[in-house]
Amino acid sequence: MRFEPRLPRDGINISQEHPLKEAAILIAGLTAVFAVLFGLVLVFVDLVVMLVPPSAEARVFSSWSAEGLDLRREGPRVEAVQALLDRLVRHGSDMPYHFRVAILPGDDPNALALPGGLILVTDGLLRAVESENELALVLGHELGHFHHRDHLRRLGRGMVLGVALAVVSSAAKTRLRLADVVGALTARGFSRDDEQRSDRFGLALVQAEYGHVAGAWRFFERLQAAGQGTAGVAAYLSSHPGNRGRIDDLESYAHEHGWPASGPASALDPALSR
Amino acid sequence: MSFESYMNVLRFSSPILLLLVTYLIGHGIERRHLARLRAREVAHQRFPVTTFAVLPAGWQPTSSSMVSGSVVISLDYFKRFIASLRGLIGGRIRSYEPLLDRARREALLRMIEDARRRGFHAVVNTRLETSRLANARKDGKGTSGVEMLAYGTALRLHDPPA
Repeated sequence: MRFEPRLPRDGINISQEHPLKEAAILIAGLTAVFAVLFGLVLVFVDLVVMLVPPSAEARVFSSWSAEGLDLRREGPRVEAVQALLDRLVRHGSDMPYHFRVAILPGDDPNALALPGGLILVTDGLLRAVESENELALVLGHELGHFHHRDHLRRLGRGMVLGVALAVVSSAAKTRLRLADVVGALTARGFSRDDEQRSDRFGLALVQAEYGHVAGAWRFFERLQAAGQGTAGVAAYLSSHPGNRGRIDDLESYAHEHGWPASGPASALDPALSR
Repeated sequence: MSFESYMNVLRFSSPILLLLVTYLIGHGIERRHLARLRAREVAHQRFPVTTFAVLPAGWQPTSSSMVSGSVVISLDYFKRFIASLRGLIGGRIRSYEPLLDRARREALLRMIEDARRRGFHAVVNTRLETSRLANARKDGKGTSGVEMLAYGTALRLHDPPA
């Protein structure tokens, strides 16, 4: 046997497919699969939530007192908001909850709907609203969440999605957590639809209470002017529609229904307008 | 746009950016390494390396010694990410192929260079071994890199091949 010097063949152990192409196919394919899966999970949660009657929900959450949130449940300001809420509730059909209001300390203007019929408004919100019509739209929006059971669905989605994400992320063993991103975006798409529906529900209550919708969304316009609005990509990533989008939608919705866009603004209860 | 919106955009785009940057760096390192490997293989082309334990006819060894070459190569973030997606659905982990190919060739070249530096004329009975070096994560999963070891019996010959 003779020795013949030869070079090893080059490239036989390396696939010729471009790594970026493989990455693109894998990411796009798995993103689509995750999006469909999470979408199905969310639809399933929505169906289950529809089967839970509000009375059962109220029973389960009646013992839950939101401890640790430092809520104020009494006083003239709470009573003033509660009085407005009670007036709005009378206009809504299918309102099987006993709605209660509490004030949450904090400067960020915000309101929350919690399971069992508890509505939280922040100090910042009460300071930021300038007329009763504005506060009525915000409260009506939260009532819309109860009407559509959004608060319960949100809880259910959060729990189920959390579990699903944990399973997929641990299986993927990756720190990028592609599934997290897809899951968050899917959930946000769902949640923005909820917000729009609740806006419209709230506006219908405002129309029923005052006979016009003038000035109801001036609060959102001020937020928009103050630069708290979002635009472009950021608007899609945000759970609430941007203030500009909300205002446009409310305007066109009121126009569609022929609700008067002019009328006197009602003054806030003196306890709130000090 | 508010600060929060910027943070959101950053949060969703930074993993993609990290992937692209690590791909570009990793790919550049890999291409340069493969080119250097080829050049060194050409330089050592006439040095006999066999996997036989039996000597070719006419070889008269005057002395022998064990020679070895080893190399440790790390994965980059991009390769590890692609592999983790593969881990979900199966299939060839193509992103690891060039990595192991580079490790094998580098280890063999280091062994050859060691043998030549010490004045040997050939290496027989060459073997390759590989091992996962360390865990990339605290939970014992993930791979931070591989070690490749090439070793063989180097021979000094009475009448070395030209």
